[in-house]
This record gives sequence, C-alpha cells and structure tokens, in this order.
Amino acid sequence: MSSDYARYAVRRVLQAAVVVLLAYVFTFVVISVLPGDPVSNTLRNPENGFTEDEITRIIAYYGLDQPVYVQLWESLTRFLSGDLGVSLRSNLPVSQMLGDVLPSTLRLAGTALVVAVVLAFALAFAVQYLPPRLGQVLRSFPSLFLSVPNFIVGLLLLQVFSFQLGLFRVIDSETPLATFVAAVALGIPVSAQIAEVLIANLDHESRQEYAAVARSRGLGRVRLFWKHLLKPSSLPVVTVIALTVGELLGGSLITEAIFGRAGVGSLVQRSVSTQDLPVLQAVVALAAVVFVVVNLLADLLYPLLDPRVRLDGGRRTGSTTPTTDPVRPQREVVAP
Amino acid sequence: MTVTAVTRPTGPDPEPTADAARPAARRRTTRVPVTVLASFGVVALVVAWSVAPGLFTTHDPAAGVPADLFQSPSAAHWFGTDHLGRDLFSRVVHGTASSVSSALVAVAIGVVVGGLIGLVGGFLGGLVDSVLARFVDVLLAIPSFLLAVVIVSALGFETINAAIATGVSAVAVFARVMRSEVLKTRSAVFVEASLLLGGSRWHVLLRHVLPNASRSVLQLAVLQFGLSILVIAGLAFLGYGDPPPASDWGLLVSVGKDYPLAPWLVWAPALVTIATVLSVNRISRWLRTTD
Repeated sequence: MSSDYARYAVRRVLQAAVVVLLAYVFTFVVISVLPGDPVSNTLRNPENGFTEDEITRIIAYYGLDQPVYVQLWESLTRFLSGDLGVSLRSNLPVSQMLGDVLPSTLRLAGTALVVAVVLAFALAFAVQYLPPRLGQVLRSFPSLFLSVPNFIVGLLLLQVFSFQLGLFRVIDSETPLATFVAAVALGIPVSAQIAEVLIANLDHESRQEYAAVARSRGLGRVRLFWKHLLKPSSLPVVTVIALTVGELLGGSLITEAIFGRAGVGSLVQRSVSTQDLPVLQAVVALAAVVFVVVNLLADLLYPLLDPRVRLDGGRRTGSTTPTTDPVRPQREVVAP
Repeated sequence: MTVTAVTRPTGPDPEPTADAARPAARRRTTRVPVTVLASFGVVALVVAWSVAPGLFTTHDPAAGVPADLFQSPSAAHWFGTDHLGRDLFSRVVHGTASSVSSALVAVAIGVVVGGLIGLVGGFLGGLVDSVLARFVDVLLAIPSFLLAVVIVSALGFETINAAIATGVSAVAVFARVMRSEVLKTRSAVFVEASLLLGGSRWHVLLRHVLPNASRSVLQLAVLQFGLSILVIAGLAFLGYGDPPPASDWGLLVSVGKDYPLAPWLVWAPALVTIATVLSVNRISRWLRTTD
C-alpha cells in the first residue's frame, strides 16, 4: 500500500503541476491571440496625445513588439519565479492588488463553503428522516436550487436582509452579518450539488445488507444514520466539495458585484472593463492553482480516509465493494 | 455557478461496466409523468416566444409610453412597465430569442468540439488521448464562469460572444462523457465482431460508436442547455452581453434591480428564467430515468 500510495501521490502531484502550467499558457493564448490590443488602443487614443515615437517605446517596454511565443516565454518564466507582472492601469504590482482583495474573497468563499456543507447535510438528513411525503418535496430542492440564477438569490437576500429588515448596510459590506448573507447567496447552488450526491449515496447505503442487519438488530433510524450510514455516504462528498471550489471562485464574481464587496470578483470585473490583461491572467492562474491544489489534496486524502479504495500501479481504481458508482455526482450524467 | 457540471478534474475515468438490462424499469416509465409534460409545455412556449414573439404581444418592446412609467402588473401590462414606460412582458418575450438561441449556440459548441475531442481521444487512445485528456484537465481547472468572462472580454461584449464563451467552458464536460462512452463501446463484443467481419474503422465509428454514445450526450446536452441559459443570464447581468436596447433576461434583471420600488422588474424576468431552466432540468432528469 505505502509504495503504491507514494507512486500514486507523485503521479498526481506531477499531473497537477502540468495542468497549472498549461492553464497559464491557455489563458495567455486566449488573451493575447484574440483580436484587440488594449495597450496600443489606449496609446493611440488621440486624447492621450502620445507621439508615434513614445508609443513605440512604451510598446517595446511591455514587450508587445515581440512575437507571441517570446512574450509567452517571458510571461511564463516570470510567473514561475513568482512575479505576476504590473497592472496596465494602476501601475501597481499585480501581486499587491491581489493581496489587497484576496482576504475578502477568502472570507466570503470560506463561509459559503461552510454554509453549503451544513445546508447539504441538513437537507440530506431531512430527506431521510422526515415523513416520506415531505421528504419527497425536499428531494426536489437541489434541482430547484440549481435552476435559480445565483444573482436572483443574491438580490432576494439583499432585498430582505438589507433593505427591508435593515440588518446591514450595503456600504459596510465587510461586517460579519453582511459576509454571512452574501455567503448564503453564493453557497446555495453549491450546496445543491453536494446534497444531490449525498442524498443519492444515503439511498444507496441504506439499501445495503449491513444497514438491513443493523435495522434487524433494532437500531433506530437516527442511530443508524449517525453510526453507519453517514461515514460511507459522506466520504465521496470530499471529492465533490473539492470540485465545487471552482464554482465558489466563479460565483464570487456575481455575488461580490451584488453585495458591493471589494474582492477578487470585483477586481476581475474592473480589469475586464479596462482590459487590464496582466491582472486577468494572474487571477485565472491563481484560480487554477487553488482549484488544482484543493483537488490534489482531496485525491491524496481520499485513499487514506477510505481503505476500500485500491491503488493500482499508481492509479486510484475505486472501492472494492461492487457498487453502482455512488461516488459520482449525479450531474455528470453518464452510464445509462 | 458552474457551470459546470461537476466532473472529476483529473485522473483516468473508472472503467465503464456493462449495465444489466432492466426491462422492469422500462415498462414502468412508458407513461410520461405530468411534471414532464408540463415541462415540455413550458419549453414549447419559450421556443414559440423566440420564433414568433409578435404573436404573443402587441406592444412594441422598444417604444416607451411616458405616461405609463412603473405600472404594476395588470391586464393591460401582464408584467407591468419599466422606467421608460415600456411593456415588460413584451420585452421578456422579445428577449427570449437571444437568451435561448445563445444557449443553443453554446450547447452546439460544447457538443461539437467536446464531442470531437472525446471521440478522437477515446477512439485512437495512446498519445493522442493523453494529450487531449490534459487539455480537458486544463479547461476543467479554470473556473468555468471565470473562463467565460475572460473569453467574452477578449472577444468583445456581445451576446453571441457570451454564447461562444459559455460553449467553450462547456467543452470539457462533453469531452469527458463522450470519451467514457466511446471507451465503453469500443471494448464491446459487437464492435469486435464488426471489425472481424471486415468493417473499417470509419464504419465502426459511425455505425456503432456514435449511435451508442448519442444517448448520454443528448442527456448532457439538455442539462447543459439549462445551465447555459443561467450562465448567459449571469454574463448579461454583469453587462457582458448586448447593451440595453436589447432585452436579454439577465440584462432585464440587472436593469430592474435599480428600481426597488418596482419589484416586478426583477421578478418577472427572473421567474421566466427559473421556470425555463427548471423545465429543461426536469426533462433532462426524465431522459436519464427512461434509459
């Protein structure tokens, strides 16, 4: 097991590093190959009054007169040495701009993740243990949550908690309560995904023989849930939670816009409207790093949490008990 | 919002296993549930709105009546009127075409590009498969909404570009599903038989592999259609679609939120969006259970 695990770990770490590098290259290509050159557009704007000579010098300074692959190479080596470049608009180092807004987004996304997990577990528990008729209604909640645009949830919560109840003001968007309400808006669609998987897994586990045995020994339903069903059902959720990190980062764009928070999402919005490419490039790279690292950790943790998972020559091959694949989130939609 | 459907980010897909035939399940689902019929009804209505908006409303979506500012919903104006006295129902109906057809464009891009990647990778295997799989991993590693925003900002703020961006961010999911379907079929006995009988690779691909994969891809396409409506609405909400004379659903909500005393400006387009996506998702779930 241990040497298998080591091989598996090394393989996954290398894979993750390659994916992060390729994500950087991909973003660079998307941003720079597509038409439109923000620097020369700004410079050639007659209002700014640069002479042709100055324009050439500035363009040479940013390296924009070089072929794309040279630019890519320079950008990539700078990225690897930890230099994220300088913003085209504010002339601040991008790493400093990111550092300023990152704490706000981390608070928001972290709270949202907690909210999502708590909501999902509460919903899954309720589906199992409320009367079937009510449980059936609750079962439709995840798909309802997934059908509501997240800006609607945000607007609704803002309307109720800020404008009508007056519990917080949009200007102090960083108070704990304001953060919590924004996190609920961000967390609800995420909780739906976790709940879908959790409910499916609980259904699956409660049909297993060991559950029937436990019931025949006279175990109550609540005890059965806590003692037997919860652990095997929630292990696969680790993977799903890791996958939703991307959603939290992407969703923060909209949530921060609605709640007026100064986070990474609003930085992206500002950079998009001003075409501040180094900032966009850095945010995408950062998001890819976060996503890849979180998923790497989840994948490395999983074999340690679930001893049933076999590692075959460095590959993770799934649990040894024949299952109908409850690990996969339903939304992946495969295997008729 | 991720779009994206949740998928495993890296690592090989688990080996597909043959599913036992379930005649009982087939019999049980020959009757279409009421909610599914209702969902088809909603989708049909939305399609009709986008094809022939003029049949459903007589008001001009762009012409404001200054005397009718902020009318609340009534028999004359089903969804009320906005800050310029324009009929909101008419604006929603006329905005359907761009909201819905752009989601179709997005799904088409996802199906074609992602399907092709999955098909080639799964069918050829080897180095090609490894390279394509890494590419898909990269697409999955970038949060899909962020990816869509970056692409749309590179292409320019128009609804069609938002659709393209949404489509690109959906490519990875389709590639994964197609690949796992192809792998499943490729190892099947009837494919082996077809090759032994002298069938060419093209013949096997077109006659056996594609038809077998189409079912799963269809389900995913329906699901992605609903998701794409949400993503495109989100992009329009942030102002990355066509500018205001247009009336995409997300844009209507975005404009309406500035008038808290006229809440219908937010709720009418929001409810239409939710009803549409909910119906599409219901149809997708039904397709999954009828297999």
